[in-house]
Order: sequence, then C-alpha cells, then structure tokens
Amino acid sequence: MRLDTALWRALALYRFAALVYAAASMAAHRSTYHRPGLGLAVLALMALWTLLTTLAYDGNRRPGWPLLVTDLAVTVAAQLSSVLILTAGGIRAGDPTVTVSWAAAPVLVWAVWGGPLGGVVAAAVVSVGAVVERGSVSQATTDSIVLLLLAGGVVGYLVRIGRRAESAYAGVVRLQAAAQERERLARSVHDGVLQALALVSRTSKDPALADLAASQGSALRRLVSGPAEPLPIGELDLLGLMPTGSDVELAAPAGAVLLPSAVAMELAAAVAAAVDNARQHAGGCVWLLVEDEADAVTVTVRDEGPGIAAGRLEQAEQQGRLGVARSVRGRLADLGGSVAVHSTAETGTEMELRVPR
Amino acid sequence: MSPDERAPVTVVVADDHPIWRDAVERDLVAAGFRVVGVAGDGDKAVRVCAATHPDVLVCDLQMPGRSGVEVTRAVAPTGVKVLVLSASGEQADVLEAVKAGATGYLVKSAGAAELVAAVHKTAVGEAVFTAGLAGLVLGEYRRTEADDGAPRLTPRETEILRLVAKGLTAKQTAERLGLSHRTVENHVQSTLSKLQLHNRAQLVRYAVESGLAE
Repeated sequence: MRLDTALWRALALYRFAALVYAAASMAAHRSTYHRPGLGLAVLALMALWTLLTTLAYDGNRRPGWPLLVTDLAVTVAAQLSSVLILTAGGIRAGDPTVTVSWAAAPVLVWAVWGGPLGGVVAAAVVSVGAVVERGSVSQATTDSIVLLLLAGGVVGYLVRIGRRAESAYAGVVRLQAAAQERERLARSVHDGVLQALALVSRTSKDPALADLAASQGSALRRLVSGPAEPLPIGELDLLGLMPTGSDVELAAPAGAVLLPSAVAMELAAAVAAAVDNARQHAGGCVWLLVEDEADAVTVTVRDEGPGIAAGRLEQAEQQGRLGVARSVRGRLADLGGSVAVHSTAETGTEMELRVPR
Repeated sequence: MSPDERAPVTVVVADDHPIWRDAVERDLVAAGFRVVGVAGDGDKAVRVCAATHPDVLVCDLQMPGRSGVEVTRAVAPTGVKVLVLSASGEQADVLEAVKAGATGYLVKSAGAAELVAAVHKTAVGEAVFTAGLAGLVLGEYRRTEADDGAPRLTPRETEILRLVAKGLTAKQTAERLGLSHRTVENHVQSTLSKLQLHNRAQLVRYAVESGLAE
C-alpha cells in the first residue's frame, strides 16, 4: 500500500472514532444542554461531513484548496455551535463542547497535506475556534491548544520523512531492477556474442578482423560487467579507467583499486598519455601493470620499442622521444607522486607511475 | 600406438559452448594431443576426468552445474593438471581457480598456437604464467599482506612476478636478473604452490572448525 493511501485511511478512521466519542459525550451531557435539538442536528452534520471527507480524501489525488478550507470552516462552525447549544454556565464550568476531539481532524489533514507548516496553521485556526467557543482561556483550553499545535507539527514532520523514505525506497527498487536486468543481459551476452567474438578472433585468417573481434569483445565485456557493488562516495576504481584496446595487455589485482575520484582521474590521464606515446613511438603491444599496495598505487607502462641506453636517457627526453615523460611527471608531481623510467635494448621502455595513498 | 612411440598427452575439454569446444578439440588433435573426453557442464567434466584420468583438463570458468572453480577443486587433487580458459574478465574467479589448483590461465581470445603451447607446458607440470595471471597473483599476495599466517613473497619472487606481469617472457626475466631460465620457472611455480597450499590449509581448518571433518 502506498504511504498516502495509508495516511488518508488512518485520517478517515480518526474522524469516525472521534465522531463516536462526540456522540457518546453528547448522550452523557444532553440533559444539561440549552438547545438539545440543535445539538442533535449539529451531530448529524458532523456525521455527514465525516462521510463526505472519507470519500473526498481517497489518497489517489492531492486534495485541492477549496476542500481543505471548507473542511476547516465546517469544523470551526461546528465548534462555535457549542455557544448556542450549551448553557453559558456549562461552558464556563468546562463541560465538554459538541465537537470534542473531532475538531482535531482537519489539523491532521492539513499536516498530511502541507507538512509541519500546514499542520501548525490549521492547529492555530482550530485553537482560535476553541478559545472563542469557550469565551476564556482556561488551563484545559491551553492544554488542548498546545496538543493541537504539537500534533499538527509532529504529524506533518513525520509524513514528510515518510514520503522521503518512500521515494528513496522506490529509487533503490529501480536500481535493483536495473542491476538485475544488466545481469540478465550480461549472462546472455556472455553466452552468445562474447563466445562468438572470441571464436572469430581466434580462428580468423584476417588479422584485422581478428583484432576487431577481440577489441569489440573486451569493450562489450566491460560494458555489461560494471562494478559488482556500488563504489564508496567520492572514490573511483582505477581499473575501470585504464586504456583498452587489442594492443593493450593489462595485469592487475582481482578486485577494484579504489582511489579518490580526482586522483584516479588524474593518474588515468597520465597513463593514457604514456600509452599514447608508446603507441606512437614504439608500436607493438603496450603492457600495463597496476599494483595496489598499502602505501601507494603504482601503474607501470611498458612498450617493446627500441630501448634507450642509460646514459642517453636525458638526451632522449629532450629530443621528444620521452617528451611525454615530462608531462606525465608534471601530473604525478601534482598528485605528490613520482615517475621512474627504465629502458633497455632488449625489453623496451618502462615508465613507472607511483602515487602515494 | 606402438610401445616405442612416446605416448601422446591426453586431454579433456570442458566448455558449455559446442562450437567453441569443437574448435579447441580440433586444434588440439591437429597438434598431436589425444582428446579422451569432452564435457558440456561442470558435473560431467568431473565424471569424465574421474573415468579417463587425463594429463590435462582444459576448463571453461563459467559452466552450468559445477563452475570451473569447483571442477578444479575436485579434479586437481587427483593429479589432473588444469588449464583454465576464460572468455570473461572475471579475474576473481580466475584467482579462485588458481588457488584451487589450476596451474595456468589463458583468455579465450588467445591464438591456437598459444593454446597448444600452454597445454604442452601444463602437461609437463610447468605453470602457464601470463602477465595477467602474474598481476592477479601479485595482487593477492599484496591484499593479504597484513593477514596473520598468509603466505609471503620473497623479495626475489616479487621481483620476478613484477617483471612477468609487465609482459616479459621467462627468458627475458632470467636475462634481466642474471638468473637461469630454470630458476625463474621454479620461483614462479613456488608463488603458485604457496597460494594453493595456504588455500588447502584454510579449507581444512574451516572444515574442522565447522565440524565437517574430525
């Protein structure tokens, strides 16, 4: 059941219960009334209004202003009728009025409709009615005014919290449905398309086609897998940001490598620059190793191009072959990290990007 | 088969995709292996291995019934060497399979020649250590670094694993470190064995603690 449907039903129930109490109270005190006939008529009117409001507030649509204002007006009118029905002495002595707790119903309605402010406004109006019908402010009147204001404010506040919880819950249900749907897609993609692409990439005589199938396969796999569980707020999985392609071989731990979002993005940008440079100058495969240690995260980018002798490293850096090292160094320095370059003729060039945790 | 001929390596192929399974079987037969059985689900893979005792099981990770990890757990202790093939990027599953006793891992997009070489290596008891697997194993040791009783890497092993994870071949790694090829292979093997031993010990302890074994 939706929260609103439940709330309006509870309000209808309140009004009926309060009506029964008002009838019982009238039965007990009718003998002392100045105009008992008018008392019965007002009670009948209250019963009619209880029935009408039960039908009007059904929870399917938000009640409009005319209904809300009429509700309050009818209630105040019923309150004020006590002045005509009870004797002046009875009112002064504190005999129960005609409406008793039935008068609180519109306060709850306004609280459900307009939150704490709506509840308090309606409580103020009904309180004025109560003071006027009693003709003075006794301790009992003060007590009931405080109760009305509290009820209006508190019910309005709780309803607001309830609505927020309801919409948050709906959001969670939506997310869950989306995750389930993605899982279903992932299963069928894994069983069908991915297998076919892997087969094509392995058996095709055409290397371009084989490459295309492999890279599309890994792109598709990434698309349907997604993070297994939601990431902590403000953090990103570095592995999800690593460059992809049929010429990139990634070695990494099994789980996510979490870093603050800004650090992860900056490190990933530096890795992308290093990989682009390796593609340009070296060709062949680019090897990536991601290491997640207690005190630092390290990404090593290795190409298999002709290495550079140790003594000529600075020279090569100035000539542009390793010009990218400077831009990568700049990014890493901003993160408080460091870059180490290692190059040999046999195993190409390694650039090690290290960011402290 | 005449007695003087060297016995061919026997292989079981387990994969739930028939086209893929047939392609692998064809490649292996063409390379001189004897495929003694195939299975389309995990339970059948275990039964076929028990019946045929192959040298090598080439096993997909995701299968109906028992998963590749569970199949590995069941057959590795019986002396069947397991080479895991995976089309998916489920690194956690690959790691579990290795801890359960698989000695190698290849992605399904690897070429036929790579597959044949990997099965040969697996058959003679060598680990098929791709860069990806080295990265996973290195990551696992680092993850459990702070745990009591978890296995540790020696500085030499760390050095070797890092180089392999960066894509260096065993030969290149040996040259870079001034070691013999054999020594590098032994170190690599030992990083796997330590993980598998620790995993088995944990399983046994779990079984004892939960009253499954006496």
